[in-house]
Amino acid sequence: MNLSFSKFPEGGLIVVIIALGLLLAIFGGSVRLPKLQTNPDGKRERVFETNAAGQKVPAFESVNKFFNARTLVQIAKDTSFFAIMAVGMTIVIITGGIDLSIGSMYALASVCGALVLSPYGPSGGGGATVLGVVVTVGVGALLGFLNGAMITAFKVHPFIITLGTMAIFRGIAFVQTSGQSIGGFPDGFRQFVRSELIPDLSFVPLIVMIIVTVVGGIFLAQTAIGRKIYAVGGNEIASRYSGIRVGRIKLLAYTLTGLTAGIASVLSLGYYGAGSSGDGQGYELNVIAASVVGGASLVGGKGTALGALLGAVILQMISNGLVILNIPQNYSQIVIGMVVIAAVLLDQLNAALAKRRLLAKTSSIKKEVVKSGDTPVSLKPKTT
Amino acid sequence: MAFLSVENISKTFPGVRALDNVSVDFDKASVHALMGENGAGKSTLGKIIAGVYTPDTGTIKIEGREVKPTDPRIAQNLGIALVHQELAFCPNMTVAENLLLGGFPTNSGFMDWSKLREKSRALLHEIGADIDVETPLAQLTTGQEQMVQIAGAVGVNARIIIFDEPTSSLSTNESEHLFELMARLKQRGVAMLYVSHRMDEIFRVCDTITVLRDGKHVATEPIAQTNRDRLIRQMVGREVLMTRPKHLDLQPGEEILRVENLSSTGKFENVSFNVCRGEIVGMGGLVGAGRTEVATAIFGLDNRATGKVYIKGKEMPLGNVNESMRRRIALLPEDRKRAGLVLGMSILDNTSLAHIDYFSAGGFVDRKRELTEVEKLTKRLRVKAPSLETITAGLSGGNQQKVALAKWMVRTCDLLIVDEPTRGVDVGAKAEIYELLDEVACQGLAILMISSELPELLNLSRRVVVLREGFVTGELPHEKFSQEAVLHLMA
Repeated sequence: MNLSFSKFPEGGLIVVIIALGLLLAIFGGSVRLPKLQTNPDGKRERVFETNAAGQKVPAFESVNKFFNARTLVQIAKDTSFFAIMAVGMTIVIITGGIDLSIGSMYALASVCGALVLSPYGPSGGGGATVLGVVVTVGVGALLGFLNGAMITAFKVHPFIITLGTMAIFRGIAFVQTSGQSIGGFPDGFRQFVRSELIPDLSFVPLIVMIIVTVVGGIFLAQTAIGRKIYAVGGNEIASRYSGIRVGRIKLLAYTLTGLTAGIASVLSLGYYGAGSSGDGQGYELNVIAASVVGGASLVGGKGTALGALLGAVILQMISNGLVILNIPQNYSQIVIGMVVIAAVLLDQLNAALAKRRLLAKTSSIKKEVVKSGDTPVSLKPKTT
Repeated sequence: MAFLSVENISKTFPGVRALDNVSVDFDKASVHALMGENGAGKSTLGKIIAGVYTPDTGTIKIEGREVKPTDPRIAQNLGIALVHQELAFCPNMTVAENLLLGGFPTNSGFMDWSKLREKSRALLHEIGADIDVETPLAQLTTGQEQMVQIAGAVGVNARIIIFDEPTSSLSTNESEHLFELMARLKQRGVAMLYVSHRMDEIFRVCDTITVLRDGKHVATEPIAQTNRDRLIRQMVGREVLMTRPKHLDLQPGEEILRVENLSSTGKFENVSFNVCRGEIVGMGGLVGAGRTEVATAIFGLDNRATGKVYIKGKEMPLGNVNESMRRRIALLPEDRKRAGLVLGMSILDNTSLAHIDYFSAGGFVDRKRELTEVEKLTKRLRVKAPSLETITAGLSGGNQQKVALAKWMVRTCDLLIVDEPTRGVDVGAKAEIYELLDEVACQGLAILMISSELPELLNLSRRVVVLREGFVTGELPHEKFSQEAVLHLMA
């Protein structure tokens, strides 16, 4: 068990998710929801039944408050926006940096995309959609690039630079739109993002989230650049002495974070059908929290894409769970704050346990060495 | 009965068994040296007595009564003080504030400044140090800082003082002050433990010597009954032979590196020398002479360097590490923990760090090829570790250095610059590193070796270039080597 955890550090997060799920399923109780069915035209409509008095009344069904398709889909969809950005944030955090401007990048990318899409109106075609998507994602990446460029060129702590751009980016979005919400996008675009596999399940945000996580995970773990990202966060000086272009790696990390903000913006434009300068207010906290709960260390050198996804799932489950447990929504901030601190403490506990296991292992190895004599020895078993 | 005795002390850290069943007695009014190679456990023993570490097993007794110094504060109350290598201070505060950092004198919550001055002056007076207590700490010399540290540690009632490599950052003059202070403390009946590498000091100031090796107690003898050679034998467990390196008997080949008038403002000026294939050129000088700075400039880490560097006759642009690496230059940095390794990463990841691109195809790392090649290297360098996945932070100094070296042997280079290649490395690993450097030199590598250890410099090099305060003061061929000649050029 211990071994499998050290080889698969996200195992603990999955256990937490299952435990939370069970908790919510058991304590959430049941709720009566109107019964729905799909009519021959493909539209969803309510089911009616005849009661004892012979009147036609809407039918209800009793379902588990947490463990029902609608709630689960809701959580999954809500998670996807944060999870996508948390993967990007994790990359920056691994380099030992931070990006506070992520919510603002999300808003500015949204607004720019909306300004491009809106003139085409609901009848806009595929070309308009592609242009809008490219602009939204591109603006996100560009903003990230600007963050990275300033951080590496001015050699100023990323906290300061992104604190500044957090205000600047949102300010630009506000000036561009005069604070108005901008909608009226091509229907094709909206229908695509909202398309449903089974009723009520818009799977596009989910698929995008999974793709971003998988690609991000492979990028970090398997590619040469990924390894350099961990090295830069682990020891910047040693990385420089090893010929790694530290500045470029950081620039790339911030650009990728911006890119994930752009991707999340596309989904939000399509899903909600509007973009405004007020979008994503306070998202930076949720996104950083998801990364940290997912095991990223603000010291740098540690974190995974899958961890970021699972961290986002845990936070979303808690936030929706409070509603399910009839705890006022206002408390969710308090609980999420506590969860972040608890996650870091758990991580430290885990590290301490790992150190202890290593210690136990060491003393047994040392004995082996001593047994085989005083000359320099390799640790291979003796062949006699 | 001994004043202080430790009995059957054992302590394990990740990666090492630091102390194994060690028992030693220490007397009042004496200086007791703890000697041994790096990793022998001498510092650990000192820190256990001072309450920094808690032993896994074993007991500590003062005047026959068992004590448990489970943290430094408890140890201090027992009259045990530790003067350690790392000077830990708040540079933004004054000497007085630093001295009483743990317990500022206050008057109903407000700082009692006059009492603070009075108390800190008393502490400094106690050890005979003449330092103005209102000086900001940042303005003190290293020696003065250490005096402040000793004053704080000794307090007014220390009975046992542990000095852990106290002279490692002191000038000769400052060391003399320290020895005088130790003589005074001895007269007061204080028991002192002295951890040091420096033989000269040990024979000057100590009364008794305990030798540890690989965490085990080897010998405890009065100073009169031992000598240098005997000590070294005890420390190493065998004679260290400085054999004549084989590369000296081969003819050096073509010129690989030529440096002409290399300068960097404030660091070094007009440095010129060359290194040929199959040659080890030593670079000597005191700390601050600019040797490391020259090395990092050649490796492309100094943007402000001017002058000319030729690799195989072709001029190389300065200030670009990747360009230097492309011309097959490698640098083993002086401070391996800061610049040589990513301590949180494994042996495998560290070894392939500088050549990840070489191990990858289409952007993806070929883990299999990486693993086989790194394994070959670590076997060749005899890196001792449970597996390649072992995190380098837990390795001994010698093994860490081997990993840092292995990193540059993934691909053959033409010029290898090694900066203090055996610093903080135990004698066994030292000999292995010498052999390796000799071997690769014989294979045709050009090596520039910076070293502060004269025997190492003189034995291994074909020529020695000496720097003083940023200038080359001379170059000696192997035939003219002598410690005196080099020292003359150095100072």
